[in-house]
Amino acid sequence: MSSPAPSLETPPSGDAPPAVRLRGIGKRFPGVIANDDVNIDVSRGTIHAIVGENGAGKSTLMKILYGVQPPDSGTIEINGAQVALHSPADAIKAGVGMVFQHFMLADNLTVLENTVLGAERLHGIGGGARAQIRRISEQYGLDIDPDRLVEDLGVGARQRVEILKVLYRGAQIVILDEPTAVLVPHEVDELFGNLRELKAEGLCVIFISHKLDEVLSVADEITVIRRGTTVATVDPQGVSARDLAELMVGSELPSPSTETSTVTDHVLLSVQHLGLPVPTGRALLDDITFDIHRGEVLGIAGVEGNGQAELVEAIMGMRPGTTGTISLDGRDITHESTRERREGGVGYIPEDRHRHGLLLDSPLWENRVLGHQGRPPSSRHGLIDKRAARADTERIIAEYDVRTPGPDVLARALSGGNQQKLIVGREMSSEPVLLIAAHPTRGVDVGAQAAIWTHIKNARREGLAVLLISADLDELIGLSDRIEVILRGRMVGTFDPASVTPQQLGSAMTGAGPEA
Amino acid sequence: MRRSMKLAAVLTAGILTLAACGGDSDNDAKDDGGSDAPKSDIKVGMAYDVGGRGDQSFNDSAAAGLDEAAKEFGIEAQESEAEDGEAETAREERLRTFADAGYNPVIAVGFAYAASVGKVAAEYPDTNFAIIDDESLADVPNVASLVFSEEQGSFLVGAAAALKTKTGTVGFIGGVETPLIQKFEAGYKAGVEAAKPGTKVESTYLTQIPDFSGFADPAKGKTAAQGMFDNGADVVYHAAGGSGGGVFEAASEAKGMAIGVDSDQYNTADPSVQDVIITSMLKNVNVAVHEYLAGVVDGKVPAGVTRYDLKADGVGYSTSGGKVDDIAEQLDGYKQQIIDGEIEVPTTP
Amino acid sequence: MTSARVIRFLLGLAAPVLALVAAFAITSLVLVAAGDPAGDVWSTILSWPEERNLANIIKNATVLYLSGLAVAFGFRMNLFNIGVDGQYRVAAFTAAVVAGEAWLPGYLNTAFAIVCAMAVGAMWAGIAGVLRATRGVSEVISTIMLNAIATGLVAYLLRKVAVREAGSNDIGTKEIPEGSRIPNISIGDGPTSEIYGFIVIAALAGFLFWFVLNKTRFGFDLRATGQSTTAAVASGISVKKMTVIAMLISGGVAGLVGLPILFGDSYAYGSTFQSGLGFAGIAIALLGRNNPIGIAVGALLFAFLDEQSNPLQILVGVSPDIVAITQGVIVLTVVVSYELVRRYGIRLEQREVARALADHPAEHPADDREVSA
Repeated sequence: MSSPAPSLETPPSGDAPPAVRLRGIGKRFPGVIANDDVNIDVSRGTIHAIVGENGAGKSTLMKILYGVQPPDSGTIEINGAQVALHSPADAIKAGVGMVFQHFMLADNLTVLENTVLGAERLHGIGGGARAQIRRISEQYGLDIDPDRLVEDLGVGARQRVEILKVLYRGAQIVILDEPTAVLVPHEVDELFGNLRELKAEGLCVIFISHKLDEVLSVADEITVIRRGTTVATVDPQGVSARDLAELMVGSELPSPSTETSTVTDHVLLSVQHLGLPVPTGRALLDDITFDIHRGEVLGIAGVEGNGQAELVEAIMGMRPGTTGTISLDGRDITHESTRERREGGVGYIPEDRHRHGLLLDSPLWENRVLGHQGRPPSSRHGLIDKRAARADTERIIAEYDVRTPGPDVLARALSGGNQQKLIVGREMSSEPVLLIAAHPTRGVDVGAQAAIWTHIKNARREGLAVLLISADLDELIGLSDRIEVILRGRMVGTFDPASVTPQQLGSAMTGAGPEA
Repeated sequence: MRRSMKLAAVLTAGILTLAACGGDSDNDAKDDGGSDAPKSDIKVGMAYDVGGRGDQSFNDSAAAGLDEAAKEFGIEAQESEAEDGEAETAREERLRTFADAGYNPVIAVGFAYAASVGKVAAEYPDTNFAIIDDESLADVPNVASLVFSEEQGSFLVGAAAALKTKTGTVGFIGGVETPLIQKFEAGYKAGVEAAKPGTKVESTYLTQIPDFSGFADPAKGKTAAQGMFDNGADVVYHAAGGSGGGVFEAASEAKGMAIGVDSDQYNTADPSVQDVIITSMLKNVNVAVHEYLAGVVDGKVPAGVTRYDLKADGVGYSTSGGKVDDIAEQLDGYKQQIIDGEIEVPTTP
Repeated sequence: MTSARVIRFLLGLAAPVLALVAAFAITSLVLVAAGDPAGDVWSTILSWPEERNLANIIKNATVLYLSGLAVAFGFRMNLFNIGVDGQYRVAAFTAAVVAGEAWLPGYLNTAFAIVCAMAVGAMWAGIAGVLRATRGVSEVISTIMLNAIATGLVAYLLRKVAVREAGSNDIGTKEIPEGSRIPNISIGDGPTSEIYGFIVIAALAGFLFWFVLNKTRFGFDLRATGQSTTAAVASGISVKKMTVIAMLISGGVAGLVGLPILFGDSYAYGSTFQSGLGFAGIAIALLGRNNPIGIAVGALLFAFLDEQSNPLQILVGVSPDIVAITQGVIVLTVVVSYELVRRYGIRLEQREVARALADHPAEHPADDREVSA
C-alpha cells in the first residue's frame, strides 16, 4: 500500500496532477446499482459537485474514495500517486476526509472532546488541541468555540464541527455527503461561504447533492452520475438545472403538476384540535385543525422534525396520548385502533418503508397481505388466502411496474424504488378513501416517481382524499390542491400551490416568512 | 427454499441411518471380542448419580470403596455417571448397557436409580444389582439395598454441636431439600436437643428439587453459613456435598466451628480451613460398597437390605484433630444408647 | 428456473451435509486431543440402535419436540421464552396432582389434567407476557425469574402433597390410576420397545403449530410482529395483545412438555422427574429453525445424542465431559452451517433479482449524451 502525504506546497495549477483522479472505478453488489467505469478528475482548489439520482451510485463511489469499501476494478490517484485505500484510516492518511449526512457527534461532549476523539495523538487533548481548533476555525471562518457542548449547537454549527473534525485530521480533500439536506436556506448560504473559504485555502471539496440549484450556485465543476457510471462533467456556467436533471435521468423530466381541480365539498378527513402534549416540554403537535375533501390533495410542508411524522402517526392511530378528534367521512375514529382505521379505508405509505412498510425477509405476496390482513384478497374467514394474495401481487407487479422475478422473492432483494412501488400498489388496492402518503417518492428513480405521481393523480380524480407529506417542494406544489406549512408542531400558514414559490414556502417553513 | 431444506433434513437422517447400518457389523465384532475374555473375572458396573466421581460427596465415597475393592480383589470396573436433568430412560439404559456388556454386579449410586433398578433388575434376573440409599426394592432377589441411618450419625454430631456451642445457637445446612437430607437434619436436631435442651437450631437448604446445584456450589454454601454465623450461630453442620467447602470457609472467616459430612473431612478439606472442622458425620458408603463387592468375590452375593447404622459402624463421627476428645465420653454414651435402642432417632424433622 | 430449483435443492442439502462433515472433523480432533479412541467412538455412534434404543430415542424426542415447539412459538414473534422450563414443571406438577386425585373417571380425568396443565403453563408464561406488554419488562428476565419461582413453588407444594413409598428416599405425587394413563405404542417386542402414546398429541401440536402460523391471519400477524414490530404496528397489529397471546400459547404448549413422561412412564411427579427440558427446547428450536419439521429433526438429533452417552461411557470409556463436548460441537456446527447456507441463499436470490432486472428493457432509452465543459 502506498499512501504518500499530499504535498502542500504545490499551488493549484493546470499542469499539476489533479488532487483526486478516479479511473475506471467499478463495484458490483448483488441486486443493487453499483459503479461501472467511473472516471472523475478533481482539481485542487475547487468545489466539485457530484450529482445523480438516489441510487445512482454516488454514495458507493464516495465510500470507495473514503476507504469504506474496496473497488472491484479501477484506480484511485491522489495528487498523482496511486493509492490503495483499505480503510477510512488509510483515506485520512492520504488526506481524504468525509462529512457524513448523519452527524457523528457525541451530544454530551464539547466540541474539543468530539474533535480529539480518536485523534488524540495529533495535538493532545488539552491546550494544544484547543489552540489548533481555534486556528482552524479562524483560518476557514468556521466560527466554532472549542469548549461549547455539542448539544447546545444548532444543526449548521454541528455540521461545521464535522468539517472541523475532518480538517483537524489534516484532510486536504473534503467529501460532503448531501450536506444541505438537513439545513434551512440561510444555513445553506453559510455553509457555502465556508466551502468557498476552504477552496480559497487550496483545499478541494467534493460535494454530493441532488439539489441542482445549490450545485449550480456553488460548484466549479459538476460530474453527473447515472446508473453507476459518469455520464458527463459540465461547467455550471453553461448548463441549467433542467439540463442537469435531464442528464441525471437520461430523458425528459416528468413534472408533478396537477390538472384541473377535482376538489369536492364533501369533507372526508376532519382533524380538529389535534394535540400531542409532552409532559416536559413543547408539544409535538399543537392544536392542529384541518379538513381534507374528497378528491383533494392536502400537502404538508415543513422542515423535517417539525411534527409531520407525529401527525401521520396520530392520524393512523399509532400514537398514544393524542388529544382532539379525528373523523373519517363523518365517523368519529378518534378512539379506533390502527387496524380499524385501515379497514375503514385509510391507505398508508409510510415515510420509512423499511421500518414501517415492509417485512424485508418475507416474500412479496406476504408484503401484499401486510396491513390488509383482515380483508380479501389477503384473507378469508381468518385464514390467509395465499392464492388470491399472490394473484393480486402479480397484478400490482404488472400495474406498478415492480421489477422482480415474481411474487415469491423476498422484499429485501428488491431495490428501494421497486419496494416503494409495491407499497404504493398495495395501499392503492382495496379502494381507499383516504391516502396518507409520507414522502411517497423518496429514494425512488425518476421513472418510478412519475408512475407514483400518476397513480396518485388518477386516484384523486376518482375521489381519493390525500394527505401528502413531502420534503420535495416541487412535488408538493405540483400535486397538492392546498399546502399547509407545519412548524414546531403547529400549522403556521396555508398556501395556494398555484401561486406559491418554493422560496415563499421555504421561509414559512423556517418561521422567517409572512404568514399567508 | 424451505421445502427443500426439509427434504434435505430428512435425507440427512437417511444418510445417518445408512452409515449406521454400515457400522453395525463393527459393533458385533466388538461384542464377540468381549465374550472371548475369561468369564471368571468379575466386572463391576458403577452407575453414579449426577456429579460422578470427584463430587467430594457420596459419589466419591462410593468410588473410594470401589477403588479399594478393585485393588484388593483385582476386579475390573467400568463407570458411568448421570447427566443433570436426564430422562428416566437414560438411567434405565445405563443399567441395561452395563448388564448387556456383561457387567455383574451393577451398583447404582443414589436413590434416583430406585425405579430404574426395579425395572432393569426384572429384565436381567441373572445380573446382580446394588442400590445405595434406597430400600424400596427389598423384596427383589437380585437387588441388594445398601442403606444408612444418617439420622443416627447426625444425632451424635448434633450432640457435639450442642456441647461445643458457646452462643447457644447452632446451624444446619442441607444441600438440596430431599427426604434423604431431611434425615440428617432430623437427627442433628434431636442430638442438639438431647445434649443441651433449649439450644437454638437454624436450618436451611441451598436449593430445591430439581435444582441439585446445592450439592456442588461452595459459593451458596458460604453465603448460607455466613448468614448463620452472623445470626449468632457458632457451629454449623453441613450435609451439602461439594458446597461444604464454602461452609468451612465461612466458619474460618467467622472464627466459628463446622461439622463435615460423609467422610472425615478434617483429612480431606483444604488445610487452611482444617482447623474449624471439629468432627464429621461419617456415612461410610465406601465401606458398604467394599463389603458388597467382597461378598460378590466370595461368591456370597448379598441381597435384601443391609442397614449401615451405628451398630454396624456404617455411620458415626470422626475424631481427627482431637477437637471433640473432651466430649467423646458423652458422645459415646449417646452412641451406646442409640445402639441399645434407648434413644429412637427421628428421621423427619 | 429449473436450474435455480436444483441449486436451491442442493443448497438445502448443503447445510446438513456441511454440519455433519464439520462435526465429524471437529469431534474427531477433540477425541484425539483427549486421547480417546475416535474410531471406536464413531463406530458406536453410527451403529444402528437396538430396538429399545430406538424406542428411547423416539420417547425422548417426543418430549423434546414439545419443548422445542413451545420455545419456537415465542421465537416466531421474537419473544425469548426462556421460561419453558419453569412452565412445564409447574404444569406437569399440576397435571400430576389433578390426575392423581382422579376427580373424574378414566380418560375424562386425563383430558381434564391435560387442559389444566396447558392452562397453568399458559398462565405462568402469561405473567411474563403481561409484564412485557404493560411494563416493558424483558421476557428474558421475567421468565428466568419465573423459573426460579417455579422451582421453589413446586418443591414446596410437592412436599405438601407428597406420598412416599416405604424405604424410598424419593417423594412424589399420588400415582395416576391405571384407567387414566395413556397407553404406550409398541414398535417391537416387549415393554422396552414402546413409545409414548402421547406422540400422537405431539404430532398434532406440530401440525397446529404449522397451520396457525402459516395459514391463519393470526399467525401472519404473529410472524409479522416477529419480523418487524414497527411494520406490524403500521399495519394495524396490536403488538401488546400479540405479545400476551403469543406468550400464552407458548406457555400452553410448554404445559404439554412433561405430560408424555407423566402419563406414559412415571405416572407421578416426584423428585426425580426429568428437569431441564425447557433449555434443551431452546437449542432444538434454534436447530430446527422454528419450523415444525425442523424441530422434529432437531429433537431426534438431541435424543439420539443423549442416547449415545451411556454406550460411549460404558463401552468405549470416554469421559462424560467429552461426550457433552461432542454433543455441543454437533449442535453448534448444525446451527452455524445452516446460517452460512441461508446467507448464501439470500445472496443467490439477490443475484437472481439483479439478473431479472437486467433482462428487462431499460426504463429509459440509453442516450448517454456527453456534455463537455
